[in-house]
Amino acid sequence: MSTPSYTQMSMELSLPSELGYEVIARDAVAAFARRLGISADRIEDLKTALSEACINAIEHGNSLRPGLRVQVFCRVEEQQLVIEVVDQGVSAFTPKGEPLTIVDKIAGVGSLRGMGLMLISQLCDEAGFVPRGSGNCFRFAFHRTLAPGLKH
Amino acid sequence: MMLEDELTVSTRERDGVAIIDLFGDVTTFAEEKINSAYREVTNKGARFVLLNFRQNDYINSAGIAILIGIVTEVNRNNQKLAVSGLSQHFQKIFRMVGLAQYAEIYQDEEEALAGFKRLAAA
Repeated sequence: MSTPSYTQMSMELSLPSELGYEVIARDAVAAFARRLGISADRIEDLKTALSEACINAIEHGNSLRPGLRVQVFCRVEEQQLVIEVVDQGVSAFTPKGEPLTIVDKIAGVGSLRGMGLMLISQLCDEAGFVPRGSGNCFRFAFHRTLAPGLKH
Repeated sequence: MMLEDELTVSTRERDGVAIIDLFGDVTTFAEEKINSAYREVTNKGARFVLLNFRQNDYINSAGIAILIGIVTEVNRNNQKLAVSGLSQHFQKIFRMVGLAQYAEIYQDEEEALAGFKRLAAA
């Protein structure tokens, strides 16, 4: 068997749009990332980022409507693992400016929620919504180092 | 179908500190359990409150929002709050969201109790 090429590796998941399924996606993508030589502490970051992206898709993009799906696409590029989380676009993402700080939240200004995107952006090497035909597509990436014995 | 490790919350008192043990996932489904435990220790007159995390593999932003709500109540009730037992990853997350400004983060329960003792003596 020939040595696998990282750039040929990809994975797709389709989840029910229901809170709790983000845990299944998180564990699957973490197992995938481990095989790419991504370090243990970065995999912890990835797990949190993926969970938050899926929760956004379920709660906001799909507006918690039962029967919808969330797709997770993982693609290996030469220097990074790229993950896209796609919902069915019941509610389109609209930028809301700077998120509230914890000081604002404790002072009672706005919701206690709404920290997911901030967390993702701090944990990933790249993150943001990208254009897509239908639904919202949130893309984020983790740089990777090669494990011995595998090639690009 | 329940896909998460359901959170178990219990309370106890040690060396004048009200300890709330949190075992399992801290998500949106944990709100009533955590708030109820906090109300219980507050009604008993707790001045020092420790959120003692144990084997919490999953704390998401909804769970963090619940904890920010606890911080708000702690400030209102003039209590002191600390957390212990978090993994290195979740210690980092707590610092990122700013919770570390409002609650001391300790490695474990013993270290937290020693911290509260110093605080009480100050």
